[in-house]
Amino acid sequence: MTIPATWEPLHDADPVLTIAQDLFSTMIDGEPGHLYPWVGERPSLEDPRFTWVDVAGPVVTRVMLMAGRVTGEHLTRSLLEMDESEPVSDADFADAIGEMANVVGGNVKSLVTNPGALTLPVVTHEEPDMSKDFCLLETYFGWRGAPLGVGLWALTR
Amino acid sequence: MKVVVADDSRVMRQIVIRTLRQAGYDWWEIEEASDGADALEKIRASEPDFVLSDWNMPEMTGIELLDALRKEGNETPFAFVTSEGSPAMRHQAERAGALFLIAKPFTADVFRETIEPFIG
Repeated sequence: MTIPATWEPLHDADPVLTIAQDLFSTMIDGEPGHLYPWVGERPSLEDPRFTWVDVAGPVVTRVMLMAGRVTGEHLTRSLLEMDESEPVSDADFADAIGEMANVVGGNVKSLVTNPGALTLPVVTHEEPDMSKDFCLLETYFGWRGAPLGVGLWALTR
Repeated sequence: MKVVVADDSRVMRQIVIRTLRQAGYDWWEIEEASDGADALEKIRASEPDFVLSDWNMPEMTGIELLDALRKEGNETPFAFVTSEGSPAMRHQAERAGALFLIAKPFTADVFRETIEPFIG
């Protein structure tokens, strides 16, 4: 059986960078220019969190954000317009970062052929096992000097 | 003007409400709903003038909410604010009776330009 999916748009990080920069400039920073491609080796994330949504279809596409907890807290405060000193609850963290994954996922969905429904976001501390899945793209951005990853996978399960 | 904003994300409800205020709709009286089923109950009870809903929600999706309202004869003006803005979804929304669909991410300018022709 031939799976009617076109991945070409996703092999280039530019569409994902555009989606992420739109998200950051409109809803997080209020102006463009604060999210940029990460230059150099793949960064390590301190106390990482993994947040994803899946796009159902003939091939399930996973859109995953990867960020350190502290970076995620900064993002949550920006989205909720909280003071820098305010503590971030796990619920607000999961809601805010989950919604970011949802927005990126929804926009990525428009790039794949024959997409199905978008799942609700999942946030974990442990990296999900995707060793048997096909990585379409993994790219990192810098935001306020901290790394932030975005990955796209075609799931084989 | 009474408006129901439905989204399962509290963060996104807050952003939508903040953006509405930035777009000049700070006089709107807004009631929040945490999913489609919650919105359906609140719309029945408070009879708002307008509903702004997410699409992808647990319990009842936005499109199921719109279908449920129309099936019971409720013609409250309805629009979507959703992360998915493909032509297919816009067509589906329009066919179901939605006024418009705003894709996330959005700006106050987009809100104003999109909403103004319908809810002046």
